[in-house]
Amino acid sequence: MIINGTPEIKDNVIIVNLPATSEYVSVARLSISGIASRLNFTVEDIEDIKIAVSEACTNAVQHAYENHAKTGRIEVKISTDEEKLEISVRDFGSGFNIGILGTEEQKKRSEEKLGLGLGLTFIKNLMDEVEIQTIPNEGTCIRMIKLRPLQHHISAIQLQKNQPLD
Amino acid sequence: MQSDFNIEISSNDSVPIVRIWGEVDIHNCPQLNRVLSDALKENDRSLVINLEGVDYIDSTGLGTIAHAAKILAATQGIVQLVCTKPQIKKIFEISGLSQKNVNLVSSEAAALGVTQ
Repeated sequence: MIINGTPEIKDNVIIVNLPATSEYVSVARLSISGIASRLNFTVEDIEDIKIAVSEACTNAVQHAYENHAKTGRIEVKISTDEEKLEISVRDFGSGFNIGILGTEEQKKRSEEKLGLGLGLTFIKNLMDEVEIQTIPNEGTCIRMIKLRPLQHHISAIQLQKNQPLD
Repeated sequence: MQSDFNIEISSNDSVPIVRIWGEVDIHNCPQLNRVLSDALKENDRSLVINLEGVDYIDSTGLGTIAHAAKILAATQGIVQLVCTKPQIKKIFEISGLSQKNVNLVSSEAAALGVTQ
């Protein structure tokens, strides 16, 4: 199926592997916004996806590799099908106690790093599905899904574009 | 890795104005934090932060602004945040930051009108 001249991406997996340092978070952001913009997402959806991926990478940079930050890596795995864009942001660091989320201790630790402790809140608010897996000393994976704009909506827009009222 | 982040500080009638351009994320937050700390040394009652040139801000950027707001709150001061882009406003709404002593305004003139 061809949409706006762009071949439909099927069973395509893209993996972006980045150093877990702050300067590369923008690279993850650029990659995902480039991909999302080719999947007919709205500008608003693309912003949401960018923020969610960026927050997940930021978490990995801030928390995953406290003792060996310079050698740590982040893997951003992106896959798409007709219904959705799925992104997994994985680190291979220390993992964390998932029970800490939403507690005073988490708030205190975030404030020490000038954070708001809102990274995961943002991700959950901006994406359609979010799942967090974390294993001590193996790492953390945040898997998130954004549903693609409905195909019939695209067809309707396409129809309007191709058949101007004249 | 290059970024298009830029920051400048000036003042209007002793109210510091911090103007930011580009993308605010974990990488440039330490720089933002230094500039905001300098601004707070000049005036501990009010601060204007202009985000009109900002294309992207995440939770670390908001955290840095929240940190400055917290310091200002101790002296009943407020942060006037000039913000016109819908995507940036949305982030502030999700964060809940705009309910505290952070006031979202649509222009620098409006920000200075309130603080003067």
